[in-house]
Amino acid sequence: MRRFCKEILRTFLMPVFMVVILLGGCSPLSEKEDHDAGREHDEVLEHEHMHEAQRGDTVVLPDSLLKEFGIRTAVAGPGILKGYAYLPGEVVIPSSALAHVHPRFPGIVKEVFRQTGDRVHAGETLAVIESNVSLTDYPVRSRIDGVVTEMHLVKGEMVDEKDHGFLVADLSRVWVYLKIYQKDLPYVREGQGVLLSAGEGFPVVAERIDYISPLIDAFTRTGQARIVLQNEDYRWMPGLFVSGKVEVRRKRVDVLIPRSAVERLEDMPVVFIRRGDRYFPRMITIGLENDEYVEVLEGVAPGEEYVTEHGFVLKAELQKGLFGEGHAH
Amino acid sequence: MNRWIDISLNNPLLVLTLAVLLMAAGYFSYRQLPVDAFPDVSPSLVQVFTETEGLAPEEIEKYVTFPVEAAMNGLPGVEKIRSVSNFGLSVVNIYFRDGTDIYFARQLVNERLQEAREQIPEGFGDPQMGPISTGMGLILFYYLEDTTGRYSLTELRTLQDWLVKYQLQTVPGVTEVLGIGGWEKQFQVVVRPEELLRYDVTLDRIIRKIRSNNLNVGAQFLEKNSEEFIVRSVGLVTRKEDLENIVIKEHNGTPVYLAQLADIRVGGAVRRGVQTMDGVREVVSGMVVKLYGTNSSTVIGRVEAKMREINKALPEGVRLVPYYQQKELVEAAVNTVVRALLQGIVLVSVVLVLFMGSVMPSVVVAVSIPFSILFAMIGMRFLGLSVNLMSFGGLAIAIGMMVDGTIVMVDNIDRMLREAPPDMLKKEVVARAAREVVRPILFAITIIIVVFLPLFTLQGVEGKTFRPLAYTVALAMLGSLLFAVTMAPVLSLLLMRRPGGKYSDAKGPVQPGESRIVKTLHGLFVPFIRYFVRHRLLAVMLALVLLGVGMLVYPRLGSEFTPALQEGTIILRLTMAPSISLKESTRITRIVERRVLKVPEVEHVVTRIGRGEVGAHTDPINSAEMYILLKPRDAWEGVATQQEMEEKIRRAVGEVPGVLTNFTQPIQMTVDELLEGVRAELAIKLFGEDLAVLKEKAGEIAAVIRRVRGAADVQVDQVSGTPQLLIRVDRQRIARYGINVEDVQRVVRAAIGGEKAGELFEGIRRFDILVRYRQQDRADVADIRRLLVAAPGGARVPLAQLAEIRELTGPRQITRENSQRFITIQSNVVDRDIGSFVEEGQRAIEAAVALPPGYFVTWGGQFRLQQEANKRLSLVIPVTLLLIFLLLYSSFGSVRNTFLILLNIPLALVGGVIALWLSGQNLSVPASVGFIALFGIALENGMVLVTYLNQLVRQGVPVDEASVRGASLRLRPVLMTAVTTALGLIPLLLATGTGSEVQRPLATVVTGGLATSTLLTLLVIPAIYKWFAAIPEHQREK
Repeated sequence: MRRFCKEILRTFLMPVFMVVILLGGCSPLSEKEDHDAGREHDEVLEHEHMHEAQRGDTVVLPDSLLKEFGIRTAVAGPGILKGYAYLPGEVVIPSSALAHVHPRFPGIVKEVFRQTGDRVHAGETLAVIESNVSLTDYPVRSRIDGVVTEMHLVKGEMVDEKDHGFLVADLSRVWVYLKIYQKDLPYVREGQGVLLSAGEGFPVVAERIDYISPLIDAFTRTGQARIVLQNEDYRWMPGLFVSGKVEVRRKRVDVLIPRSAVERLEDMPVVFIRRGDRYFPRMITIGLENDEYVEVLEGVAPGEEYVTEHGFVLKAELQKGLFGEGHAH
Repeated sequence: MNRWIDISLNNPLLVLTLAVLLMAAGYFSYRQLPVDAFPDVSPSLVQVFTETEGLAPEEIEKYVTFPVEAAMNGLPGVEKIRSVSNFGLSVVNIYFRDGTDIYFARQLVNERLQEAREQIPEGFGDPQMGPISTGMGLILFYYLEDTTGRYSLTELRTLQDWLVKYQLQTVPGVTEVLGIGGWEKQFQVVVRPEELLRYDVTLDRIIRKIRSNNLNVGAQFLEKNSEEFIVRSVGLVTRKEDLENIVIKEHNGTPVYLAQLADIRVGGAVRRGVQTMDGVREVVSGMVVKLYGTNSSTVIGRVEAKMREINKALPEGVRLVPYYQQKELVEAAVNTVVRALLQGIVLVSVVLVLFMGSVMPSVVVAVSIPFSILFAMIGMRFLGLSVNLMSFGGLAIAIGMMVDGTIVMVDNIDRMLREAPPDMLKKEVVARAAREVVRPILFAITIIIVVFLPLFTLQGVEGKTFRPLAYTVALAMLGSLLFAVTMAPVLSLLLMRRPGGKYSDAKGPVQPGESRIVKTLHGLFVPFIRYFVRHRLLAVMLALVLLGVGMLVYPRLGSEFTPALQEGTIILRLTMAPSISLKESTRITRIVERRVLKVPEVEHVVTRIGRGEVGAHTDPINSAEMYILLKPRDAWEGVATQQEMEEKIRRAVGEVPGVLTNFTQPIQMTVDELLEGVRAELAIKLFGEDLAVLKEKAGEIAAVIRRVRGAADVQVDQVSGTPQLLIRVDRQRIARYGINVEDVQRVVRAAIGGEKAGELFEGIRRFDILVRYRQQDRADVADIRRLLVAAPGGARVPLAQLAEIRELTGPRQITRENSQRFITIQSNVVDRDIGSFVEEGQRAIEAAVALPPGYFVTWGGQFRLQQEANKRLSLVIPVTLLLIFLLLYSSFGSVRNTFLILLNIPLALVGGVIALWLSGQNLSVPASVGFIALFGIALENGMVLVTYLNQLVRQGVPVDEASVRGASLRLRPVLMTAVTTALGLIPLLLATGTGSEVQRPLATVVTGGLATSTLLTLLVIPAIYKWFAAIPEHQREK
């Protein structure tokens, strides 16, 4: 009987052994170690320096890669930063450049010499009217050089002194009224340079703001800036819609960099500084900026070499450790 | 049982006819079985996709994901609902219990989807179910090759979307064709904002006007002289010019045409995916998705035929070029096992002839192989199994075992025919021989089937992978049992001759008719057996030493789950920064493509970045999958295997700054994606509402866990990382102008994102009409600040005056499980038992992390699965052992005998462990399957021997003498069953083809185990038999 018990004990070892093996084989637990080891091997081909780079918030990039990845650098230096306001507006006839021509006495129109669109000179006879008072002909003359924009006289027509004869506009000079939105009001000043254009096909002309209305339009809540345009060739037709790019600011700054150089790292603007084959992000304080350039107040010293293009590659390399896990799902 | 044999022997013709019919049925079943590469391990899953142009993850979650999830809650059989809200795309995965009928599940989901649709606001997308397919469904990828260079990417994509796609979808078995790459054609109304001011028109008006100038109507019919005229009014926009001439406004009789306000262009739609090739160009491509449950190889064949047809219909110079086909994989995998199967059959037959010494008995035994295999086919058809690496692998494993029962039967018949007196009827001799062994055969085979029981209880991926194998083994064994007890005696009766009247009563160890090999082996073995029987302790020592070695080696074995199946197609997966733009990810991808192309064996590289039409992939644009097309193997230099090739490419690619690279394979990748499981041992999920709080608290938890002893690779999911431009409308400021929030948002949406204003029909092809600002007027934050919003009074106010515009970093995606947001903290555990780690971690978190109300933590991960598996196995294995014990006991009627036979198991295990160790393989699931098979074979061997020993003792032979004589007499069948089994596995052991890596550990274990177990069966069992023998009373008294 004792021997039998011993036998049972001995044979009992066997199922235990069996269970151990089965569990060992089926356990996904052990799989992870292996899987991970494989993955690490897969994902990070360990270049000595790359490793170091990830530790110290520095990216090491051999020069040979610069060209392949299109990374460009430049040396930080001063520059002029201009600030712009973009304002819509339209071409209008200056009120001082309009001249009405009225018949002096009631009478009958005998001759009309000029049509709408004709260019006329000051003193030029536009029409002849036979006066009802004197029964003599008298000429109707333009008071200014300009273009006939309205003509209301028809031969044989009976007119009196209240009738509108001609409207002559001097378009050699026109005004552009730009609307200034509330947000731009503090910056737009008289005398600032402005680039005007009426869109594709029209020339871009540089002018200055001549005058700013002291009043705000009660309806649209916009201010008004006036620009005087030379218009010898009559290209700027009144009523034409133009947009103005007003240079509201012009400042010489110590460090001016292109916008493309600014990357965002943890919601902070940074610029990648280059030292040999090492690149590291430097947090910057941005001063003024426009569509293309930004002023760096702090973070990049003049003379330092920084990445101007495709710094994103470096940023991504820095964050590589973070986005590796759970790729997307 | 005996009656069974008598009936068979009395009706040989009937038995033969039935057998032939059965085999024919098996063959026809085989022809109808679907053929796949691997068993499909995809979960029972229904995916719901909702595409919403331009919406951020937060909005997607709120407006789309939540209603869909809410509708799906409470469906029968749902195990888990998991959702991902990405930019522009909501994916809700509804996981059903394993084994749920997929059509039933889809029907349930579809019903509820109606509900969800009502909850989703107008214009926020329409939820659709994914294709009726699984992770194995992507059977063929192709791209459109344009040799003329005349076609633009937009034109090629139009060909894909409107010609190729619909043609391929008509192929039976194809459920979906998804396009990606190039540009989807779109009519773009590119508005010049200054013209809006000039003509005093709003974007809204333009959109309205386009919509109301683009339709056809029907107006019933008109009766005219007994005839009916159908009335239809045609006003659809069909050309670009029609669009240009839409009148937006009229002033004093002067119309303002759309063309005056905007440029109308044919352009490409916004895309979230690109397909690049060879580092230089973009291509248009498509993926063919197979219908669930269809036969991969036939569907692929049909698709190929259809593609040839389509190529003819495509314009001159354009053709479809497949770049990935599952067919190759299916063929390779099936070839590997079929070759192993055939080689196994040949090897086994050779062994039979050598051992049996004559041809006829060998023939009888050999016939059992096709019989069993074809029998298994019938079963496979009933069970709905497909022909694949695993199911056929099971047959390959079983080859050696299939013959065992018949070997024992034929061996006994052979012996009896030689021993029987010549005056005895041949039929009588055969019947008696058969009756003698039928019981042990029945029990032995039953035991083999029973040992496979634990495999049937495997769950999840392992279950789906290995259950087909268990099924086919069980089926084949059942077939072999049927053969052994019916066909074998009949065939023996018909085919085997009794030795020419030479009656020999020699009870010596060597029978006169036996083959030379057996004689030699006898010569070698018998002295050993005698020696060990005399020195029992030595036998015990030998067993113990072997056991000791096993125990020593066991802890040295590495372990892995399942060795990765080599699919033969290499994918290099790139993961880039989450904030990356599609343009930049395309640029970087091309750089990597060029690096890959430097490897001389690489012929082409085709890469998918992001996603195309939804249905198969949901990848964001920072992820790229590079299909590396290799030259044929004979052009490879210095590399032979897929791994070596990967290594070579890995070296060529090197380090890519800002990019994570890893290698994967098509099916593996898709299945991993569907499983969405956390691969770490431990996954702590923190559930809660606020993303910021989740992120912060997850960080705290990670910090606490890192301090717990044993923690390794602790990582928090990166949930944020996508930059956002947040436009927050200032209610006070809009109030001044009398503008509504919606007015502002409409401008934002239409101007920046673009708004669809109907469709333009070209025949049945339809293309979106999109109204949007000119690129240069919406390119920059500054431009957006300048966008003008019309106030009701007519004033135009720049956006910057109405809203606060900020840049910030937002969530890259929002994941939810069972309707709650969560964030995962993953960790592995080293040098420590995971249970205690979890306990300690839980305590530490409770003490150190204060969670706000509504926030809670769950602990899961692989360890949970493992615990479940362990729990199941700790029940199933003892039950299996008990069953075996009962079977053995009922066969022998002796507890002692039973233990003696069970003793075979540890001794067999030792061999398996050592073989694994020697061949440098790991303990893995297939290795475990090998161990299971080994139990069965070891038990079988033990039974054969012990049965005979008992028989001899019962006949009155003294125990010692019986031990020696029994062992030497049973040398032939024991060796034969062992050698056939081992040789049957040799082809699998040496195979290098696709899929061999899964079968090899299994074959290794069985072969190694057989070596030790046979040795021990022959030497140790006879030696210690005395202690376990059920010795008859009269002998004990002596």
